Amino acid sequence: MRALKGVSFDLQAGEVHALLGENGAGKSTLIKVITGAHQPDGGTISINGETVAQLTPASAHKLGIACIYQQPALFPDLTVAENIGLRLEPASALRKVNWATRQTRAEELLKRIGAEISPDAEVRSLSMPEQQLVEIACALGAGARIVIMDEPTASLTQKEQHLLFAVVKDLRASGVGVIYISHRLEEIFQLADRVTVLRDGESVGTRAIRSGTGVSLVQSADVSPDVPISRTLGEDRRDACPTNELSESELIKLMVGREVSAIYPPSESEAGNVVLALKNLGCAAGGVKNISLDVRAGEIVGMAGLVGAGRTELARVLFGITPADLGEILLNGQRITISTPKEAVAHGIAYVPEDRRRHGVILEMPIAHNMTMAVHERVFPGTWLRFGAEKQIAQDFIRDLGVKAYGPDAPGGSLSGGNQQKVSLARWLATKPKLLILDEPTQGVDVGAKSEIHKIIRRLAKEGLAVLMISSDLPEVLGMSDRIAVMRGGTITAMLPAKTDAHEVMAAALGQAEKGATK
Amino acid sequence: MKKHFRELSVAGALAVVLIGLAIFAPAFFQPQPLLSLLTREAPTLVVACGMALVIISRQIDISVGSQFAVCSVCAGLLAAKGWPLPLVFVSSVLFGAIMGAFNGWLVAGLRLPSIVVTLATMVTWREALRWQRQGEFVNLPDGLQWLGLSQVAGQWTLILAALVILVFLALATKHLSAGRFVYAVGTDAEAARLAGIRPQLTTFSVFVFMGALVGLAAMMNVVQSPQVDPKSGSGLELKVIAAAVVGGVAVSGGRGKLWGVFVGLLLLACISPALTHLHIEAYWEKAIQGAIILLAVVADGLRTRKQRN
Amino acid sequence: MNTDKHGFKTILLRHETILLLVVLLEWFYFNSVGPRFGSVDNTFDIMRHSVEIGLLALVMTPIILTGGIDLSVGSLLGLCAISFGKFWRDAGMPIPLAAVCTIGIGALAGGLNATLITWLRLPPLIVTLGTFSLFRGLAEAITRGADTFTNFPASFLFLGQERWLGIPAQAPIFILVAIGIWLLVHRTTFGRSFRAIGFAPEGTRYAGISVERRLAMAYVLAGIIAAVAAIIYTSRLGQAKADAGMGYELFAITAVVLGGTSIFGGIGTVHGTLLGVAAIAVLNNGLVHARQPREVAGMLTGLLLILALTSSIIPKMLASLKARRQTSATKPIIT
Repeated sequence: MRALKGVSFDLQAGEVHALLGENGAGKSTLIKVITGAHQPDGGTISINGETVAQLTPASAHKLGIACIYQQPALFPDLTVAENIGLRLEPASALRKVNWATRQTRAEELLKRIGAEISPDAEVRSLSMPEQQLVEIACALGAGARIVIMDEPTASLTQKEQHLLFAVVKDLRASGVGVIYISHRLEEIFQLADRVTVLRDGESVGTRAIRSGTGVSLVQSADVSPDVPISRTLGEDRRDACPTNELSESELIKLMVGREVSAIYPPSESEAGNVVLALKNLGCAAGGVKNISLDVRAGEIVGMAGLVGAGRTELARVLFGITPADLGEILLNGQRITISTPKEAVAHGIAYVPEDRRRHGVILEMPIAHNMTMAVHERVFPGTWLRFGAEKQIAQDFIRDLGVKAYGPDAPGGSLSGGNQQKVSLARWLATKPKLLILDEPTQGVDVGAKSEIHKIIRRLAKEGLAVLMISSDLPEVLGMSDRIAVMRGGTITAMLPAKTDAHEVMAAALGQAEKGATK
Repeated sequence: MKKHFRELSVAGALAVVLIGLAIFAPAFFQPQPLLSLLTREAPTLVVACGMALVIISRQIDISVGSQFAVCSVCAGLLAAKGWPLPLVFVSSVLFGAIMGAFNGWLVAGLRLPSIVVTLATMVTWREALRWQRQGEFVNLPDGLQWLGLSQVAGQWTLILAALVILVFLALATKHLSAGRFVYAVGTDAEAARLAGIRPQLTTFSVFVFMGALVGLAAMMNVVQSPQVDPKSGSGLELKVIAAAVVGGVAVSGGRGKLWGVFVGLLLLACISPALTHLHIEAYWEKAIQGAIILLAVVADGLRTRKQRN
Repeated sequence: MNTDKHGFKTILLRHETILLLVVLLEWFYFNSVGPRFGSVDNTFDIMRHSVEIGLLALVMTPIILTGGIDLSVGSLLGLCAISFGKFWRDAGMPIPLAAVCTIGIGALAGGLNATLITWLRLPPLIVTLGTFSLFRGLAEAITRGADTFTNFPASFLFLGQERWLGIPAQAPIFILVAIGIWLLVHRTTFGRSFRAIGFAPEGTRYAGISVERRLAMAYVLAGIIAAVAAIIYTSRLGQAKADAGMGYELFAITAVVLGGTSIFGGIGTVHGTLLGVAAIAVLNNGLVHARQPREVAGMLTGLLLILALTSSIIPKMLASLKARRQTSATKPIIT
């Protein structure tokens, strides 16, 4: 699978260029190419009109490219001043550290971005947005000419947002080019000069919001005539003539793109009794609040929302990883408490986690062992391993789910993403759950395996399983769900029926006027 | 104040112990025994400073005791051959640095866990020494003890030398970029790499430096007596790790101050004489030392637990 | 056949075969050097001397499989030996009762390690380093550094010094423990969980397995078996002193790592550990027969550990180096 196909993107000095797209549309890959973390297999990158032969993180740094990630790469045990100092000072070992200079520089940089952070504070004690501001201060101090911001406002308060906007505008005024990734449309309209929308690894259009001027700073994979066309995969769909008037709904349409096609298997199941009922569920540590939701037997409830909306956090609450501290969980009408994953499993709740490689499958272990991990008590009564029974279970699942592996002994890491996902799914189906929570079930899975997994989910629902499916793949949510819950800011903001169009879901997820909400 | 809370609480504990001793065992404060005590602890302080650096860089070195013995004996043998004192000093430091470099190569170069590596080198050096020397003491030539000075002057010289090293390292870890790199690597090696610091080189250097300090400390010990005991330095690793941990150096790396280590070492050093003066049997020393280590890590563990919640 | 190691079968098979060859080579070499080496008596002697370290290595295996380490087992052996003597001589307990109480002490001590490691999530390394000092210190404090327990009844000394059914009397206990640990690691869900924790502690938690309880089990078990080893040690030497088992933790860890268990957790077998114990025991005994001083054996053990560690890491490094070279070779030069 290609993460990026013939994308053209350019950034001018003194411009804020927003990058928009659903999760998995290729934004982060594009960023990694620009910061030198990934090497492109085709196309060109030119900076300040000069073509860069090979971009590495070090050379990108030298060329003045700075990226502010959502998870800052700072030293938690050291002070803010020192964090900035270590980034900006030369990395020679025998040099006197001038704490006064560090202090004043940190103060000055923090003041420039309007951050009320003491340079003496340990980074550990800062909140995530404050840490991001420190990162921005580092970028500023390094004299970056290209600053990439990856959803910088995801966890900022209103006040911090305004500060950040001022910083971005400041950067623009001083001739810095800013690549701004955000899901919040109002921000994009407030800040950006141009916006490029990515979908499925392709650029579907660049539109002007404000007319920008300046020299071109970055041109990546530029499809100019002197580049052989074979280097760019797919066609260039960059819209040549930007229009000044771009409406929000037009932007949403660009992001969503194609209509949901008939590739999803049709719903055949009848919704039965309520299996899971949540009443005002909340968990301060997990960052979810006020969740009320029903999931019925035989029903697939899709859960849409943006990254950081609290969907995975809700799943972790239901699975006992970060237990709930408010509200009620009712399973088949019985009030239950879940404080550890073990208890969740005992209650018949299964969770196929998002991070497959860290949580879903133990890569070093054979898939047979992976599949029986959650059912030790049942398959191995008296704790004695029964290899025959285990092998049988594994072979049944391999056949049943169509896992492509050389056998039950194949280590999980030797399988492709889609097949790993099936192993992870098998582990939880083996528990014969009442409620199956799927978190991004087809992320990083190729198209063939994806539709197979969809068929499996359908079949499970038909067999009477209650399914809660978290997905950032909008067509998947629309195509698979019997009902759609949309989360935003840690709570459910809309419950939409199956026949909803993508526009409505996206609008709810982005926090637009909740016109489609039927609470 | 808040920044030094951890160190100040240890200093408070030390003050309590000292006041307790002043009330119940004023004999403890007689100048001559006190001077002897400090002289005995001077080499330990030097090693503890090195250990603090090792732990701050998120590693551990339990081979220091064996290194100490090897350096002591080698230095003694060279001195017995009639080498001049400065040259003996330099060789001892060099021997230590070489042994440290071996550890550093295994840990930083081959990325093996430092605990097992230094466990292996600990026993290798120790047994090799026992094999070669069969427990035999090395007789030193005249004029080496107390550096050829009078006893009191020699004692003061050693104490001052240890303090100079402490102050130098305390300043270097604060004001020299290399010192800050140690903290940076111990906090987050990946972030350090992104900031242009070379984590593996830093780790390697810390181990070499540790070895050099052990060599120096061994010399400071050798000049205290007319003979070199091939068993000297046994249990040293535990004492200096205890001093570092008690003094507020976090085993998870990246945190700790050298003056805290100094206070921690003084606290531990007071145990043995305090036990004697308070008429408690000295055999409790090791158990108390272990209990203090556990107490310190439990306190740190509870604190991070509170931060987590 | 052990199906628990499929996927790594080739590597492990290779490792264990090589180790077996090393043991056999050692055997034949020392047999040719020392005339008495290959005798039945000497073979039993080797067994007798390796039982305690063997027991510690056996219980160290599950701990290292979880990615942890226990440095306190040698000290705990000392503390338990002293406790046993104290129970028998000073508390006047009969030997069996004293043994049971000693095992209780071992379990408590293991429980202390387990509590600190799981409850406060402290690194096993520093916790067991602390208890390493604490347990030895308690043993010294109880005996005031000098007290030695001797004059045990002959019925007790039988366990460590006599033969039973033609084999050393302590051998059946060792064999039972070895079978028990082998079954635990290779044939039960506990062993499966240990490995899973070693590979991916978070992933194991996500599978609904109580990681804390499994870890606690491994450390408590180590405490119990260290107590058993202490009783056998006392019986073999006919005395209990505070320095009993000093440095044994190193031999145990060496045997485990030599036996092919990864110090990073997840990979390893109990039979590998047994071979590791055999390799060390034969080396120790053989060097004596080859008229080499005892220290050489200790030194070689340390070198062996370094060698075993580096040999486990070098193929990985070569592979990554090769991979890096390949990617850089296939990387297109973008112009």
